[in-house]
Order: sequence, then structure tokens, then C-alpha cells
Amino acid sequence: MSANVMCVSSASGLPIFSRKKGNAENLPFSTIGSLNGVHMFGKPINLEVLNTVTEDYSVAWKEYHDCVKIIGIASGCSVEILTKLLDSVFSAVVLIVGLEEIKSQRNIERLKRELRVCYPIIDRLLDSLDCGDSTNKNSSDLVGLAEVILCTENHLIQIVLDSFTECVDSMFSSILIHGKVATATESWWNLHPDEIKLLSILANSENSNISKDIPVFLPYKSPTVAFRFVALKLISDVQLCCLCGPAPVLKDIEHSATQCFKSSADIFATAVQCHPRNFPSSTQLDSSILGFLLLNTSQGKYVISKNPQQNSTKKPASSSHRLDILRTFFYQAVTCFLVTEDFKIENSNYKETSKDQLDVDDLNIGTETYWCSEYHKCHAMKINDNILCVLYGSSVPTHAMRLITEKTLKMLISDKQVCW
Amino acid sequence: MESQKLLPQRTQQNVTNESSEDEWSEGSSCTSYYSDSDESTIPDWEPYVDDYSGELLYIECHPFVTQNKDNQKPKETVAPFSKNQLRQSTRGKFLRLIRRRESKRHSKKFPKTPDANDNNTSKVKFQDFQEGEEKDVLLEIDQENKYNLSSNVSLAESLLGLNVSTLSDGNRVMIAGFSLDSKSKNERNIKIGDWLKSINDIEVNVQNLEDILQKFINNTDVLLKLQRVAGIDVTKDPPINELNNESNFVRELLNSKGEDEQLLSQTLCKHPVGIVYINTDKLSENSGEYEDIIYCYPRPLQKNILCGSRGMFLTLNHLLDDLVRSKPKCSSMMYKKRLAHVVYTQCDKNLLLFMLPDNRASAKEIMYINNEIIRLLEFSYETLDKCFTDELKLTQVDHFFSRFFARILSSGLWATAQQFVELQSLSVKSLQVSPHQFENVMPIAPFLNLPDEAKMQIDDALTELEASDYRDWNEEPLDCQRLFTVLGSVIYHSGYLLASHLIHEDLVDVHCFCRQQGLLHLSRTEPVKSLVLWKEVFPNSCNKNKVENENVPDGRRYLLVVGSAKNLLAVIMEAGGCTEPPEENMGPDAFYVEEAQATLAHIQELGLPELADRLLSLNPGFQVASPVPLSNKRKNEFIGSISLSKSATGLKESPRKNEVTSILKRRSSDQNFVLPYNSSTSLHDDCYSEDSGSQECCSEISDESGARSRRSKCEYDEDLSDNDDFNDGSQMSNSSFDVSEIRQSLLNETEDYRPIQITAGQENVLYHFLQLDTAEGILICPPESRVQSQTLQLVLSNFRRCCQKIHSLLQNTLRFKNMPVPEMSKSLMNKSLIAIKEHGILFECPYLEEKENKKNKIVYWVIGRLIYMPHPKEVYVCYNESVPQNLVELAFKMNIGVIT
Repeated sequence: MSANVMCVSSASGLPIFSRKKGNAENLPFSTIGSLNGVHMFGKPINLEVLNTVTEDYSVAWKEYHDCVKIIGIASGCSVEILTKLLDSVFSAVVLIVGLEEIKSQRNIERLKRELRVCYPIIDRLLDSLDCGDSTNKNSSDLVGLAEVILCTENHLIQIVLDSFTECVDSMFSSILIHGKVATATESWWNLHPDEIKLLSILANSENSNISKDIPVFLPYKSPTVAFRFVALKLISDVQLCCLCGPAPVLKDIEHSATQCFKSSADIFATAVQCHPRNFPSSTQLDSSILGFLLLNTSQGKYVISKNPQQNSTKKPASSSHRLDILRTFFYQAVTCFLVTEDFKIENSNYKETSKDQLDVDDLNIGTETYWCSEYHKCHAMKINDNILCVLYGSSVPTHAMRLITEKTLKMLISDKQVCW
Repeated sequence: MESQKLLPQRTQQNVTNESSEDEWSEGSSCTSYYSDSDESTIPDWEPYVDDYSGELLYIECHPFVTQNKDNQKPKETVAPFSKNQLRQSTRGKFLRLIRRRESKRHSKKFPKTPDANDNNTSKVKFQDFQEGEEKDVLLEIDQENKYNLSSNVSLAESLLGLNVSTLSDGNRVMIAGFSLDSKSKNERNIKIGDWLKSINDIEVNVQNLEDILQKFINNTDVLLKLQRVAGIDVTKDPPINELNNESNFVRELLNSKGEDEQLLSQTLCKHPVGIVYINTDKLSENSGEYEDIIYCYPRPLQKNILCGSRGMFLTLNHLLDDLVRSKPKCSSMMYKKRLAHVVYTQCDKNLLLFMLPDNRASAKEIMYINNEIIRLLEFSYETLDKCFTDELKLTQVDHFFSRFFARILSSGLWATAQQFVELQSLSVKSLQVSPHQFENVMPIAPFLNLPDEAKMQIDDALTELEASDYRDWNEEPLDCQRLFTVLGSVIYHSGYLLASHLIHEDLVDVHCFCRQQGLLHLSRTEPVKSLVLWKEVFPNSCNKNKVENENVPDGRRYLLVVGSAKNLLAVIMEAGGCTEPPEENMGPDAFYVEEAQATLAHIQELGLPELADRLLSLNPGFQVASPVPLSNKRKNEFIGSISLSKSATGLKESPRKNEVTSILKRRSSDQNFVLPYNSSTSLHDDCYSEDSGSQECCSEISDESGARSRRSKCEYDEDLSDNDDFNDGSQMSNSSFDVSEIRQSLLNETEDYRPIQITAGQENVLYHFLQLDTAEGILICPPESRVQSQTLQLVLSNFRRCCQKIHSLLQNTLRFKNMPVPEMSKSLMNKSLIAIKEHGILFECPYLEEKENKKNKIVYWVIGRLIYMPHPKEVYVCYNESVPQNLVELAFKMNIGVIT
């Protein structure tokens, strides 16, 4: 029920930041030093420790560009997910200070100061670990993937958004509803899922009521050249984000936004209602479905929802747990069998060594997976790039799950209005 | 056994003939030893008993390539000595032995000679040098014989009149002999032992030989290119490693060759493998550089990766314990761009680190392997401390680890029955990825479910051995105390457990021991003439460090393993308690070894190995099927009902396949006669022909009468044992009727025994199943399929990978269920994982057998389920998704095993 993540300078061994989640204590300097030392020690003898597991904990080390090391310790989650989280954390660091700054490390104190901005982002990233505690309020977060919301109005918003994007002379913009991407331009979707996720978090971090104009580096697309990230609040819980060059000043952008979106206020008002259901109320799911997670592997986006139809009869406490179950199911069963390529443990530089292994595993393509527990059942099905994970009650027959999941998946992806 | 290895009328090579005659006389002297009551008081294995520890490992093999002009040896020489003879012989011997023991049991008549195989020297050795003269031979195709393509004659034989085998690399084709009436026999340029390089300029190897011959079936002649591979007959004192009566594997088991091992040790240092045992107390600034290291392999210390980096692991071990109150289990790391894993085992103040590369053992696998090794070491040496501190045991431990690591790197954990364990080409092979392992690394013994009748016979025999009630053997009462009590015994055939009378923990110990020492592999791949192993062991149930049972008597326990052909009988015996007090380093006692051998012989005589072989040879077909895409299956459908046609294809293919490798051993001139003995091939030839309705020796005997006579005997037998009449209770009573009759009727009776089809639906859609009963230490699984298809291997490797995953998921449930209630709320476990009982994954994979047709796909489920009541069991199945299955039903049917 705890997680720690820390960043250490490779050269000096000095800690750059350390964040924690849950009831963990802040790690003392000596511990950080030892953890760093373990990793450093192996280097001269060609040995690089990647991770260590204990009964309940996972520890992972990862060094980036030979200049910083990020170390994570977490309970209850798999080492694969933890390693993936470290990548996200590093991306968050790059997002704020840029790759050059990290590489040069001219002034470590300045770097530390600058990185304060990304603490909320990192803290939020830590929420995406499935430590298995139900107190977590962001249990819908998934590592490395961007959450979206499927509103019926999405296709209408898309049209307006496209015209706004032209106004501000950019290609990257999106609308967030409750911090989830409702709609975005094509270029926005072409960003790395981690980038989309980080930008969404950034827009919502600290005060989401004021307009933001922050320089950001895109960890994958542009780690050395900064963009301007502008986030404006349209109505409450609805934000407009865009990436742009130095040209239009914030005032002009705000002006264009008002111009473009002033007629859409009603649309947004209804669209906001979609939360927390996250998919249109017009779409009727099978009554046996307690919750679902729909994921697109190529775009790295997902929508997660607990089916509210059940809420009236069942006690609400169990419903908050549903997202946790779905997420754990996704991490434990779906990532290793249905979306293998993205969650491999090795760094990409080491891929060639395990090539044969990949071949063998790649020939066997997982298409469905399920598990049955005493209290619930989960089933996931993959059709092309889309994976639907569904949470059922334990009374649903196992064979029926396959039919319901397939029907639901086809129904959800066929809806053109929600811009999936 | 031996008769199958004879070659028909070999008259070409004089030397060979003589040599093999020697061989025979030697063989018969071996049998005569048993039947002789007086001359042979010194058993064959006696000279090999270790003087110091009393340990023994003795393996007598069947020679590799022997040739003989006697084409028919009576079966009696082959069959193990009859029990009656033995009982008579041992009767007097027992007393004498006891007397001998009283004087001085350990006085050795012979000094231990490492190469005591001298008398086996005159053998033909086919050394395969690449060089050697090449010959082209134009051979006429046998026109008469070419349509005689019955299943038991290979194409090479019917077309060319040649028997073929493989050279030692298992791939190149070797001329092994000529068929009776072949013209090629007169061809002077073809010599036995030649390497058949090509046919009509197409290069041949074992795999493509049949296919290539198929192409030339209509030619009148073919051009063979042969190469001499130097058929040198080794007659004068060859160095021991050129003797061909021991395979590499056996030699490796027996010898610890100092030089080789050092070389190997150095080679191993280059790979990310190793084991280090560290004293964490001695770790201080001012102690010597390697002072804390208690044991380390491979050596030298300076080159051992783990040794050099131990500080890292020690720090982690200590740090994580402080930090999160839980000990590290496994670390993954990159070593020179290779992923490797290190497992930690804390043992009081000492820490054991064990490392393997990822491509040979995944993080999950290495933890299982580590557990098994620790189990093995504790079984063999009581505790890890004793194992690594006793100087005298270290050579043994070294030898074990050298073999272990070399095997892991070269041929995977355990090769399948078709593969060889090879230690060559380490550098190339160690980079390849080994298939995933699951059931082979779990602490469970694969169980072969025999028909009840057979089980009863085995239990009977084992019980009698365990009782060791010899009172009525001698008129005068024996006034000496017995040396050992038998704690339990267990019998294996081809590596499958047939029956166990051991406490399950001990069974797992014995199984791990036999598996890791390679004995199971040996019995699966190379039927041996005789095997005797004796060793002091520390079974789990008696290990005071583990069991807090005060009742464990002070004593010593010994493991006795005797083997013959594919059978192994392992007995744990206790000295102390009610027996005579144990001695230091007690050696094997000839009497008890003979008793065990007699029991094994009795079981063999009853025909149980044949029965087991028959059951083992039924796959694919009855229990599991080979993956075939749906479209291909349709084609087969009109042949008959799907199960029949499948079993038929399975059976037809395999003799051919086997022939290539073992023709030399098996082919006999008069094929119709050779009575199957312990040969799976000939056995299933039988069942095949029975299936197809033709008459064969066994089936000729009327089933009814056979059954009846057997039944009546059985009743008689039961009466006897129920009687509890001491004068009559021993095995001697069995002599009143012929064991061979029981054998015959047992075999006939069980002829129609077929394992039930486990999956629902008409077709058999099951590819594999496992039932892990860790509480009992027993694994129920189908016998290894003899038809190895690429697709099947792909599916199975993936199946095992999933099993590992599912197993660890299900462990969460077990852990939570066993958790005390107050701890539950504090536990750090993911609450979503605490009650999972079933996990399944659906996979698609290409059908690899048809390269052109990529469209064909196999779609299959891998499902694992935890069955909690009455005690936890795990069931894993892998089946084609075309027919939906109910897992509970499958689990139920797995237990039924066989029905009539």
C-alpha cells in the first residue's frame, strides 16, 4: 500500500527528488544512497540491476541517458508495471525541464527547483500503480495510457475544436472534460500516449480554474525544443488545451477560444453530465456488466467506467472497488497476454538479445482472457487494436461472458458520435 | 531387452562377431551370477562402493552397437532372472551375508578401479571423423520390395535393402546393416558404419531421408554417396571414454573427470550462471577478500560473476529487509547485454545466491529450479551448511553443479525423450532460447495411471519388499536383528511414477533427487541393464531441522535405487530405531540390494513395464491430440471416426520415426517372432494391428479364457495374502503358479484399457493437461506425445509460460486463504487478487507444419483453475476452442484415468 519513487543523479549520486504515495515514509538519504549504490556498483563489472522482487514489494531501477537514475519501490504491483511507471516519471521530468537540462546538470540545485513543478504530476502518476488499496481516488489511471471520455457530443465539439486550432495557427489541441480527453485534433492523437497523458495531468494540476501558459518539452516528439502549452478553462470541468509556438500571445488565444466556443456552451454543459459514467447514457449495456475498460492499443487511449445501472441496487462501496479490480485485471492478465509488445521488461536497447523469445511468444497471439474470482469475473477480448475488459458479477456463466463482451465491444466502437 | 538390439545375420565382420560373442558370454555370466547360488557372492557393483562414504552409483549399460550372428537369443537371457531362482539362491546367502557382515562387511575384495570395464573392451567403435574416403555407389532399387511399404519396414530398407541409423550427432545417416535378401549386401563399397551423405546428389539427414526416398520410389537405381567414417575396432585397452557401451550421459553421471571439469568450470565463468554461498557475518572491512565465501561454483572465485558482485546482493538483501520488512526473492539484471536472474535464499546467517540467464530460465522458472536444488541438497546432505562445508562432499557438489549448469546452458533443463543431453557447443546453444518449463520444475512427480489390476500387483510387490518378512526362508530362526527397516518405496517407469508408498514430502524428495541426478532422464532415454545407487539421505519427514516431530528415531536413512531397463525402484531405508544401530558411512548391503532387484524383476516379469509402455504409447490419440487446423481435420474425417483415424496416424508415423534412430538396436532377422519386451515400438505395433483387426500373438489368446484364469489366480493370491498365515505369507507362495501366466493374463486383460477422452464432444480437442497435486506431490499429465510437431511444441511452450503466470496468480488465493485473520487487514496484498480461482487465455497460433499455407490457424484455450476442496489442487488444460469445455468436468475426468 505504499510506493516510493526517487530520482538520483548518476554522476554525483545526489538525490534530485523523492516522492511517495500511501503510508510510506520518506526515504532517508542513506537509503537512497544505498539503492543507488547497488545499481552503481554493478556498472564496472558489466552488471546492471534492473529489478528485485520480494514477497510483496517490487523494486526497479532504470537509468536514463546515463545521467539520471529513477528508482521505484512499490507494494502490490508487478515489476513490469513499476518499470513502466519509471518511464512515465522520466517523461514527466523531461516534459518540464527538457532533456538538455537533465543531461548537462550544470546546477543541480536549480534543476531541483525547476522540478518542483512536476511533483504534482509525478504524484498523480503514482496513483496509476495498483497497490490494491481502495482509498485511492484516481483508480482509473493506467500507466502510460491516456484516459478519454466518450460523450455523445464529441463529434460536435470536434468540429469547433478544428476551427479553433486553425485560428491559433497550431495543429495540437484538445478538449478535456474532467481531465479526460473528450476530443482532440489528429496531431494530438499522434503524440505519444505518455505525452497525451502528461499534458492532461498538467492541465489539471494545481489550479485548473486559471489559464496556464507553460513551456513544455515533449519527451518523445521534441525532448529538446520547448513548446508553449496553453490550457484554458471553458466552463467548469471543461478545459481547452493546445500546444503552440511563440506566436499568438495568451490573450489572443483566449480571445479566439471565446469566439469559437461561445456558441457551444450548451453542448459542453450536457457533455459534462457524461462524467462519471464516461460513456453516453444512450448506450445501454448488458445488465450483468458491472464495469468496463475499453482500450485502443495503437493510440494508447482508454475509457473506463463502472456501469451505473447497478448502483441503485448494490451498495456504492463495492462500485468504487470495481475500477481497482478492472485495473488489476488489466495489469495482471491483459498486459501480459494481449498487449505483450508494449509491456516488455527490457529496455529497447536490449531487445535484440531476446529476439528468439519474442518470436516464439509473438507467434502465439492472445485474443481473449478471463479470470473468475469468488466475488466477480473479468473478461477481456481483443479485436484488432481494441481491447475491452469487462467486469461481471460472479453469477454470470463463463461462456456467456464471451458473448456479452463481444457484443458490447462491437457496440461501443461502432458509435461514431463519441469519436472513439 | 538385448534381443532387440541384435542385428540379423551379421557375417561380414569377424572381429565384431567375436567381440559380440564376448559380449554375450559376459551378458550370460551376468545372469548366471544371479542364478548361481554359491560362486558369486560378490555382486557386480561391489567394487564401485565408495570406500569412505559407502556411497555407490553403478550403471551397467547395454552396449551401443553390438553385432551378433546368433540372431535369436532365447528370451530367458533377456528377461530378468526369475524370482524363484533368486529366492532359493538368496536363502542361503542371507545367512552367509549376515555372517560376513558380522566379521567385516566393508572389507573390499577389490580395490576400486575407475576403469573396471576392461573386460568390455572388444567392441566396434564407429568414430565419426569428417575425413575419410568418399564413395559413389550405384544401387538398384529393389523392385519386388518397393511396394512392401508396411509400417514396420523403413523405406530405406524396402528400397535399398539397407538398415540405417544415425551417427553420434543424431542427424547424419549411418548405414547400420543390410536386410536379409538385399543386393546391397553384395556391394563391396557399402560398409556398415558408413555415413550416407546423399542420394542422387540430394543431401540426406535423418529428417529428410524418408521424403527423399519417396521421390525415387519409381527410379530403377539411385546413386548413393557414402563416406567412410573409419570403422575401427577398438580391441586393445582403449581409454575409457572411447568405450561405446556407455553413452556420454551415463559416463557423465558416473565419472567426475577432474580435468574436464576444471575446463568446464572455466568456460562456465563466461556465462551468467553461478551459485555462491556466503557467510554474511564474516563481511567486514578487514577480512580477506574472499573470506566470506563458503562455496562458489563455477570457479575460480575471481572469475565468478556472482562472487565479484556479491556485495550488491548482500546490500540489497539487507537493505530491503530494513526498508520494507521483506526479503528479496529474485533480482533481474543485465550482464553483458544478457538478461539474467539471481535468486536469494537466506539460511540463518548465510545467503545462497543462484544465477541463470533469462533465455534458459525465466524469472519464475529460476525460483522453482532454486527450490528444487535446495531440496535436493537438503535431501542429500541434510542442510545447506553441511553440504557446502564438508570438504569431502564438495567434489560431489561440484560435479553436480558442473553438470547442472552445462545442461541448463546446452540442452535446457531436461531434454524431451527424443533429444540428447549434450554438453558440446555450449557457446552457441547457450544463446538460444529454451522452451518454457512448468511441470518439470515443480515439486511433483508425473504419475501414470495404470489399470487397477496392475496397480494392485505393484502395490503387492512393493508391500512385500517393505515388509521384508523373511522368517519362513529358513528353517532355523534367524537370531539377528535386521539391518534396515524400509520406510517406503516408489517405482518409476520411463520417468513416470507408477506407485509410491512414500510420505508425499519424501516422494517429492526422491523425485527431485532422481530428476536432478538424471536418473529419470536415463530411464526415459537409455534403458540400462542394471543400475544400483546407494546413498545416505535426509528425507523431509525425518529431517529434524524441518520437522518438529520428536518421534523421529535417531538413525540414518539410506536411499537405494535399483534400475533395470526403463524401470527404477527407489527405496528409503532406515537404520536405527528398531534395527541394529547404524554404522558410520554404511555401504549398501548386498542382500537388500538383491531384494530390491528381485522386486523390480518380479514387477517386470508381471509385464507391468509393457503395460506402462503401451499406455505411454497411446498419445497422441487417446488422451491428447496433436494440433491440426480445422480445415485439415475435415480431410481426415471420412477415414473414420476421428479418434480412430487419429490414433492410427499417430501409430503409423512413429515406428518410422523410431526406426531411423534405433534400427540397429532393434531389427532382428525374424521380425515376426521378436516378442515385445520393454520396447514401446514393438508394443504398439501390437496395438496397432489389433486396432486394425489383424491377429497378433497376444490377441490370439482368447480374452475370455485368459481373463478367467487370471481372475481365479488372483483370487487365490488374495486368499493367500488375506490369510496372514506366516508360513505361507511370503513371496514363495507365488511360486505355486507361474508368474508368466499372470503376466500374460494381465497384459491381455488390459489390452482394451484405454484412457478416457477427457474433453467433451466427439473429437479429442485436448492438447495437454496437468493436474498439480502439490499436497500429494503428484502430477497427473498425459505421457509425452511421441509425435513431435513444431506446432505442438510452440503451443506447449506457450502453455507452460501461461501456467507459470496462472500458477503465481492462484498462489495469491492460497496465500490469502491460509492467512490468519488478524493479518488479513494488514496484508499488502492486492485485494483484487485474493479470491481468484480460474484464469483462462485464448490464443491463436499459426499451423507451422504447412509453411505455404499461412492461413491455417490453431485457436486454443489455456485455462488454469484452483480446486480448493478437499485439498488444494491446480488443474491446467490446453485445448482447441472448437468445442467448449467445462473445466470442473475435465478436472474430474483427469482423475479417472483408465477405463475398460
